[in-house]
Amino acid sequence: MRRELGMSVALGLMCVALWASNPDFLGQSNALNTARQISMLGIYAIGIGFVIIAGGIDLSIGSVIGLTGVLIAKISSTQPGGMGSPLWMGICVGLSVSILIGLAQGLLITRLKLQPFIVTLGGMLLIRGVSQTVVQGGTLSLAGSPLLGLANGGFLSANGDPLLPYPLVIFLVVIGLATYFLHFTVFGRYVYAIGGNRDAAEYSGINVRKVETATYVISAGLAGVAGVCYAAYIGQMSQQVGIAYELYAIAAAVLGGCSLRGGEGTVLGIIIGSAIMRVIDNGINMFQFRYHDHEGIARIWRLDSNWTFVIIGSVILVAVVLDQVVHIVQAARRTNRAGGAPRTEVTEVPGSANS
Amino acid sequence: MRGITKRFPGVVALQNVSLSLAGGEVLALMGENGAGKSTLMKILGGAYLPDEGTISIDGARVLLSGVREAKRLGIALIHQELMLAPNLDIAANIFLGSERPGEPSLMMPLPRLQMNARAATLMRRVGLTLSPTTPVSTLTAGQLQMVEIAKALSHNARFIIMDEPTSSLTSGESEQLFQIIRQLRSSGIGVIYISHRLGEVLDLADRITVLRDGRYVGDLSRAEASHEKIVAMMVGRELSKQYFPAKDERVPGESVLEVDDLLVPGAPAGIRFNARRGEILGFAGLVGAGRTELMETIFGVKPALAGTMTLDGKPFLPRSTRDAIARGVFLAPEDRKRHGLVLPMSVAQNTSLPNIGNYNRWGLLDRAMERRVAEAEVARLKTKTPSIHQKVVNLSGGNQQKVVLGKWLAMNPRVLILDEPTRGIDVGAKAEIYRHMSALACEGITILMVSSDMEEVIGMSDRVVVMHERRIKGVLAHEGLTQERIATLMTGTAEGSVAA
Repeated sequence: MRRELGMSVALGLMCVALWASNPDFLGQSNALNTARQISMLGIYAIGIGFVIIAGGIDLSIGSVIGLTGVLIAKISSTQPGGMGSPLWMGICVGLSVSILIGLAQGLLITRLKLQPFIVTLGGMLLIRGVSQTVVQGGTLSLAGSPLLGLANGGFLSANGDPLLPYPLVIFLVVIGLATYFLHFTVFGRYVYAIGGNRDAAEYSGINVRKVETATYVISAGLAGVAGVCYAAYIGQMSQQVGIAYELYAIAAAVLGGCSLRGGEGTVLGIIIGSAIMRVIDNGINMFQFRYHDHEGIARIWRLDSNWTFVIIGSVILVAVVLDQVVHIVQAARRTNRAGGAPRTEVTEVPGSANS
Repeated sequence: MRGITKRFPGVVALQNVSLSLAGGEVLALMGENGAGKSTLMKILGGAYLPDEGTISIDGARVLLSGVREAKRLGIALIHQELMLAPNLDIAANIFLGSERPGEPSLMMPLPRLQMNARAATLMRRVGLTLSPTTPVSTLTAGQLQMVEIAKALSHNARFIIMDEPTSSLTSGESEQLFQIIRQLRSSGIGVIYISHRLGEVLDLADRITVLRDGRYVGDLSRAEASHEKIVAMMVGRELSKQYFPAKDERVPGESVLEVDDLLVPGAPAGIRFNARRGEILGFAGLVGAGRTELMETIFGVKPALAGTMTLDGKPFLPRSTRDAIARGVFLAPEDRKRHGLVLPMSVAQNTSLPNIGNYNRWGLLDRAMERRVAEAEVARLKTKTPSIHQKVVNLSGGNQQKVVLGKWLAMNPRVLILDEPTRGIDVGAKAEIYRHMSALACEGITILMVSSDMEEVIGMSDRVVVMHERRIKGVLAHEGLTQERIATLMTGTAEGSVAA
């Protein structure tokens, strides 16, 4: 829990600093929008969390998010290029395809013993290509579709904004289920055991292949759910949607305490990691610094948004470096304690070792 | 088990092997590496299916089709590399794979409280007094072994198979393990005990079954078993009395390596000893006595915090392994598969690796020279390999150790540090390694040998440094060296008396 604690403190400090620089950060509209963003990232970050904790990796989820949205638009859009079928049909096809993608990748990885990195890298490119052929290089609009209400609508309306946007509701449901399955069931225990020591899991009679395949299905399935949300949020599907999202998810999971070696990480950590990623993103737009220049005119300094990636990248590196430094310092302290007081006493070698 | 045969592509691992075990009996299974012990074990554990032969329990034929099936029939297997998940706690590991008895549903909640309570009961049976929620990553080797046994007991194992359980235990921990094994025996559990350590086997086993080259050689009862008989059955010939080469021709010369007040990271105090030209200096001690750490410091893996060393009278304080290698101080590490060799590379590539900078001709890797050197070392050490291009991973333990030796011999060692040089190596190959060590010492190379095998320490060393809790307890001369004298020093029950 050390990592989770440290990261939630960091998140809290970040929020306070942003709020101090720009009170609009916690204003209703920005706060709700950030919550929506966190939710949509969190949904698929939790998915990839299952894979990472079991010691695997899934690079295809960004493409799955894109393909889900593209399929929904293709099937249910009434605009040019769409087939005009009912929305539920689009969503069902989108989700089924994403689950099948997860199943196919999981089976390739576990049955043929292929490396997850390669399989999902191939999947990432292939699925992206399928999206491209479906939209034929252009865009498909969802204008007029009831789906758009999913992103903007929600429960508990206040000042015209829903206090509980639907993506947040979905996120909360995903959190609940993931927490239950990962931390409280036999299945979750097996996920950790496989990530911690695959051979031990195998020799304990665990059906490793089944559990591992399941993690890829969960990952791709939740990417599909996130894809539905993004389709609603963006409203215009092109082949570009979802590019590099898997990397945000991996970053969120790692920030939250998952180890790419497997066996470590919690749902809570991934939630915090996702929040940090999105708050940074949002904070770069919100951060401002009011000052008076030498002529006494009030001015506002803002961050150049071209620095977004520099900042996100630095935060990830600083986080893992700090974590490792703490780790090394703790290990060194343990060694010193075990060794006792160094240097003061000199070994008595009875009779002297020298001849 | 009756008439078990198992073939792998290219080899017959087991041929017509039969084995029996009664409840409440400790059967020792012995044989050199490659004799088929592990294969036999894996068949019993359900990991492999035999090609021929039958297995019966209580007279009824059974088919061990998988790990789960073997477990259900009451067979538990404890691997040499312990099969525990370090990121989980003790209770989780004990019940891994059988969290909810009788109902293997993945979606059901974990009965944590019940698991912890049952784990506590099982842990008491094996003498573990820790909390069941202790993370496994914080346990000692001995405690891990006990967790494995508790795991076996958790599914009411009637037969427990242990593969070299003491290879990483201190002698105190081993003693505790033997007590547990005797308890298991008296509660009617049959134990198959695989070990290379003859002493333990003679002490513990009711009966000894010996395998050689995948065939059954014979059974010895406790009464008829003796050191010599077992070894003869294992290697198929009477080993000459001169298992350890004679020391007569060797006269250690002047002091080569002087270590003075050297502070090894984590040690309580400085360490002082010297090693002479052409000497084999043994280092005895329990696991955790700080011998490996000392060697790593001398080799520059973990640089010393303070103190001085001189090599041939000149200051020697390696800050990295490169410094040590440049001065001709080489280490053949304890864990040769992890630290000594690059397993997927060939014999030749491993041999040239530490000196690769000198294998170049106009900036290109000089493969002809690499081949020449590797062939010379293979010939000198009589390494059994189909060719120098064979991947090291395919060689036996003894031959792998020879590749490690060869890579250093190719660079003309001044001081050669051998950490557990014969661990996991069978009797025949051991004798060969000993001959090479002796020959190297005769050439004037100084050898520091860390060993937990008491016979080896006594048989090979010119002097023995005994360590206990990261300090040197005494330095003993070869004359009058006995197991008892070393043992009292290394367990810390007495201070060292004599130095040579």
